[in-house]
Amino acid sequence: MTIEKEPTEVPAVLLAEAEDAALARKDSVSLSQGQLVRRRFVAHRAAMISTVALAFIAVMAFSSIGYAGIPGWWDKDYTMAGSVIDGGRPTFSLLPTWLGGTGLAWGEHPFGQDSTGKDYFALVMRGTQQSIIIAVIVGIVATVIGAVVGAVAGYYRGWVDAVLMRMTDLFIVIPLLVLAAVLGQIASRTGNTTVVLALVLGLVTWTGLARLVRGEVLSLREREYVAAAQSMGAKTSRVILKHLLPNTIGVIVVNATFAIAGAILLETSLSYLGFGVKAPDSSLGLLISQYQNAFTNRPWLFWWPGMIILAIALSVNFLGDGLRDAFDPRQTRKARRRSKKEEVSE
Amino acid sequence: MSITSPPANDRGTALSFENLSVSFETEFSDVHAVKGLSLEVYPGEVVALVGESGSGKSVTSTAAIGLLPSNAYITGKALVGGVNVVGMAENRMRKMRATDIAMVFQEPMTALNPVLTIERQLTESLELHGLAYGKDATRRAIELLDMVGIPDPAKRIRQYPHQFSGGQRQRIVIAMAISCDPKVIIADEPTTALDVTVQAEILDLLRELKDKLNTGILLITHNMGVVADLADRVAVMFHGSLVETGTVDQVLNNPVHPYTQKLLASVPRLKAVDVTGGWTPEPVAPVDPNRTLVLEARNLVLEYDMRGTKFRAVDDLSFELARGQILGIVGESGSGKSTVAKAVLGLLPVASGVLAVHGTNLATLRPKAARAVRAKIGVIFQDPAASLNPRFPIGDCITEPMVVHKVGSRAERIRRAGELLEAVHLPRSVLNRYPHELSGGQRQRVCIARALTLDPELLIADEPTSALDVSVQAAVLEMIQELQARYEFACLFVSHDLAVVDLLAHHVVVMKDGKSVEQGRVSDVLHAPQHDYTRRLLAAAPVPEPREQAVRREARRLLLELETPKG
Amino acid sequence: MLRFILRRLGASIGILFAASLLLYVLVINSGDPLAELRESNAENRENLMQRRIEFMNLDMPWYQRYWTWLVGVGKCFALQCDLGTSRQGVEVSALLGLAASSTLRLVLLATVLAAILGIAIGVLTAVRQYSGLDYGVTFLTFMFFSLPVFWAAVLLKEYLAIGYNDWMEDPAFSVPQIAAIAVLVGFLMQVFLGGTPRRRIATFAVAAAFVAIVIPYLTWLNFFRFPQLGFGGVLVLGLGVALSGTAMSVGLRNTKVLYPALATVALGAIVYFASFGLLENPNWFVLAIGAVLAVVIPALLGKYLGGHLAVPAMGVGIATGIVMAGLTTLDHIFRAWPGFLALKPRPIATIGSQTPNFVGTFWEDFLDKGTQLLLPTILLAIISLASYSRYTRSSMLEVGQQDYIRTARSKGLSERTVIFRHAFRNAMIPIATIAAFDFAGLIGGAVITESVFGWKGMGELFRTGLMQVDPAPVMAFFLVTGTAAVLFNMLADIFYAILDPRIRV
Repeated sequence: MTIEKEPTEVPAVLLAEAEDAALARKDSVSLSQGQLVRRRFVAHRAAMISTVALAFIAVMAFSSIGYAGIPGWWDKDYTMAGSVIDGGRPTFSLLPTWLGGTGLAWGEHPFGQDSTGKDYFALVMRGTQQSIIIAVIVGIVATVIGAVVGAVAGYYRGWVDAVLMRMTDLFIVIPLLVLAAVLGQIASRTGNTTVVLALVLGLVTWTGLARLVRGEVLSLREREYVAAAQSMGAKTSRVILKHLLPNTIGVIVVNATFAIAGAILLETSLSYLGFGVKAPDSSLGLLISQYQNAFTNRPWLFWWPGMIILAIALSVNFLGDGLRDAFDPRQTRKARRRSKKEEVSE
Repeated sequence: MSITSPPANDRGTALSFENLSVSFETEFSDVHAVKGLSLEVYPGEVVALVGESGSGKSVTSTAAIGLLPSNAYITGKALVGGVNVVGMAENRMRKMRATDIAMVFQEPMTALNPVLTIERQLTESLELHGLAYGKDATRRAIELLDMVGIPDPAKRIRQYPHQFSGGQRQRIVIAMAISCDPKVIIADEPTTALDVTVQAEILDLLRELKDKLNTGILLITHNMGVVADLADRVAVMFHGSLVETGTVDQVLNNPVHPYTQKLLASVPRLKAVDVTGGWTPEPVAPVDPNRTLVLEARNLVLEYDMRGTKFRAVDDLSFELARGQILGIVGESGSGKSTVAKAVLGLLPVASGVLAVHGTNLATLRPKAARAVRAKIGVIFQDPAASLNPRFPIGDCITEPMVVHKVGSRAERIRRAGELLEAVHLPRSVLNRYPHELSGGQRQRVCIARALTLDPELLIADEPTSALDVSVQAAVLEMIQELQARYEFACLFVSHDLAVVDLLAHHVVVMKDGKSVEQGRVSDVLHAPQHDYTRRLLAAAPVPEPREQAVRREARRLLLELETPKG
Repeated sequence: MLRFILRRLGASIGILFAASLLLYVLVINSGDPLAELRESNAENRENLMQRRIEFMNLDMPWYQRYWTWLVGVGKCFALQCDLGTSRQGVEVSALLGLAASSTLRLVLLATVLAAILGIAIGVLTAVRQYSGLDYGVTFLTFMFFSLPVFWAAVLLKEYLAIGYNDWMEDPAFSVPQIAAIAVLVGFLMQVFLGGTPRRRIATFAVAAAFVAIVIPYLTWLNFFRFPQLGFGGVLVLGLGVALSGTAMSVGLRNTKVLYPALATVALGAIVYFASFGLLENPNWFVLAIGAVLAVVIPALLGKYLGGHLAVPAMGVGIATGIVMAGLTTLDHIFRAWPGFLALKPRPIATIGSQTPNFVGTFWEDFLDKGTQLLLPTILLAIISLASYSRYTRSSMLEVGQQDYIRTARSKGLSERTVIFRHAFRNAMIPIATIAAFDFAGLIGGAVITESVFGWKGMGELFRTGLMQVDPAPVMAFFLVTGTAAVLFNMLADIFYAILDPRIRV
């Protein structure tokens, strides 16, 4: 229930008058929904840490080895084989000197070398780039298709809706991974594998978002402001773009992040199985697949790519969680109770 | 049952509050919902706790049954049968629920668990509190259903909630509340969600039960008619405090506190009704030849398409609405009254018949031409919380019709929005605020402003005040009247509230099951109804005056008795 | 209800058909099946190509190939499946048997485990929203959602399997190890049981002390190589369940519940000896009958001895019966363990779905398959469990705000009754629909897990088939998993209809 802020004394005015007085008293600062959401998101600690971590990983990946011909600050290339130094052991160290370590040291091969002497840092950074490119493209493709199809299906219902629901049912009988693998195999015959693979993944991961947007639109279209817009003669495109989609933004943004996390894992899985990115290019999944048996002898070849996948996926998931809390204030944590009140209410 | 309860004396209270205060700690600040309230309810007595939203009346009752959320901070006492329940341990409080204090909720559609049978839900409290087990409990539950007037209870007890109507579900909730013979029942807006005829039946049931069981009832309501019908004493709450207490006669007829006086003044009242039929109508004035017909329906049929099967919501409806007139459409839920409004707004196609705005038949109009006609129609809906897009600032909400119809420049639009806000008595600074910052009544006024943006010739008002508090409703109704006098638009006013229609409309259509049962001038139809259904409807609507309501109740009983033998 | 389920089944079969067409077309267009032969320099190149064209019907247009496949599948209804030949000319139907059984075993076990544990955890975290447990579980579920399966599999192999096997050579604990385990168990117990701080400390102390005493004792008994339960263990534990179940439901004084429960314990004790010979080397049929009896007999006892408390009496009785039967079975499994260790000294394997050429008694065979299944099941279940617990939690929280929950509370029902009788069933309704999607996800996960653990299962069939642009094995994979998914979906629908009377009546 909503409770009005109390005036100091009980005046003999009616609710209507009291409300108007309260409105006149209100300070001039007025927050839009977007501003409220931003404020709540910034207050979500895990989400903020995730955002920073994600930004750090992305900057590292692209600035170190460069991208698309632009050179980065790291001098080694992920395709360049060389002589294996010190069994390919990593030279990266964080252990401070007073604990017997060497302090923060980067060294020649921070993440070590693989069996052919390729610099593993460059390989892992290349794989990270792939994951990030895929995340971005899948995020865009899946979100746009999912939001549009979901909104259209929810708004028009009828056959569009029926087709959408049957398409999502398709993933009950063909697992997502299986369809993605077959499409990935087809995609690998084209030139720019990563981008095509990302597009393909986007084409198979939008249905979840579409279902959710559809559900949301189904309930929103019964709202009276939508009926008001329709009855004043607004075109369907205006109703969908101005009234329906902006109000599903929470669902869209939150689930886009979860779709992105899913797509990153899907790509690495496909590459691991051999249906995604293929050698000589590098992908985190591919690296794990190549070096899983090296675990006992050269564990770093196994740890680095796995940890980075985990870090990216975890950050994206926490980011999505933070966004969900920001968009849906019902789920935010209760205000902390004072201890004396706790005693009374227990 | 309790160890500490004093020896039962004759006038021991069933429920009493002593200096009860409740505050909630919320995200932003503490809110004092109840401030030092004292009140008694005696066995066999109905005390009505009235007030508008935010007055703290529901919080008070929830405190008595110990179901407030954990961020509530309670002081003072709430005594149930003499036992203080504030701060009582949860497991002791649990034993008192149902046996000492029970509750009837507002929303019967959601108050029952949809996946359990009525039998399960009725017997569980009997078994829990050790009153009856197994077959005995079922037998007792059937008796209870019979007592609250569910037909064929032995068979129906095995059914699920969705197989009952709203009124029946409320009866079942009442059966649940009385199952363990509580000392006091809290009825929190028990009839608000129900149609007026069903409301009258539920009120009859509550009255009958309280006499039979000698239970105290704390009736939470905002409806003064319900108070007049059922209550013995009244307590008026405003902003968390009691401003006035007294017998129903004292408070409703001679209110002392200015708040109560103002509140009662803002309740719309039905004027005296003659249900005997011996009333000679005023001579019908000849139809003004110069009048401009704004809206006209002839043999209108409207249908919903439910997965291929057509459901006929409006059947063979005809009416006329001229410039400067207000036409009320009244009826209970499912009568098709809102469907008519929907069709005029173009939200539902016309199945057959004519629906014409200014002589252009909407049914045969092309979309583009229809859009031009729409510009002349303004609309106000029921739910102020849902009728403004939460992402639009108020200014954008008001000027949207201008944007849609490409009227005016940006500066002109802003100027127009300012004018309209003034017309609905809101400050200009509201332009940049968002809907969530406004109260329900204020939002409804913004909706009125939006409806008037393009100087409409026709205003469709679909239950515009039924979600509002009494005083807010009065302000909104007054505003509609004032604006209508100024701009002279025609208005189609859909409402379930006969008193509101009586106050506002010139003509009225009474609808039932998609058909018009009676229509004509308000002074004829609502004051000398010719049709049985209209009479029943009028008789069921309670008026906020206890003596008059007692007379009407008797009249309604006679009316129903007269009808029953007829079949 | 029947109409609802039939309609859903019909729709699913239509989708199965459409999906098969889609998958077939995609697979045959995913590459050139003759690619490596075209580049080969072998003398009999033409001959090899011709043979492959014949095996794969490459001379037919695609729709005819699909039709041939579809007709072959149609013969399954006459129990003569013809799923075509792989490109080496091997009958796919012949490959299918073993592969399907091991994969379905994995997926079903993982589904059941994930659903039961996930839902339980979801309910618990919803009830204790914003507690330490809730935050901990939330973090773990995010962790599991973000974990690459194949990577986690390698970690499990390395630490769980190899570590355990090494330890099994000479099972022993050092004092710090015991202390660490005791503290950990104590901590987890207080997290799960919750309560006031004082109660939590007590729980911690009792649990930690128990562990600290039991571990050295078990080591002394050499329990880890020669586990034993014996009649005494079965009887004491069974009695414990009967008494605590009675105490929790209606209280120990209530003989209407207590007597049937005790009668069940007595019967269980008799059955322990009566079935001893039979259970030393049983078969699945015997076990299934035993399980049914363990439910039916206590239920009947409860119904007739329980009087007006028949329902709780049956509940306690059935719980006791199931626990007694389970313990009796466990006792026999324990007895088989030393023999099993002799046959397979490193019990938890990391490769394959069963040890090749393994011959043993029923229980030894069971243990072999079980230990092979252990790691992949844990892996699959963990990921699926995360989503079940998450969905259950949010569903429970949603239901918790409904009006009928408030109604239930206002009747004075205890929190436990409110949660299990009123909230739980309603919260399960949306879970039933999600389960179908989750099952498909598990099949996809099984493809990865099988690849990591080197199983010759359905995943392998799919992977090599797709690599070699060979539709027959891929379609066989699809046929089995797709049908399983449809059947599972139907189960979910039935479950849905049982839960929700608005569908039924």
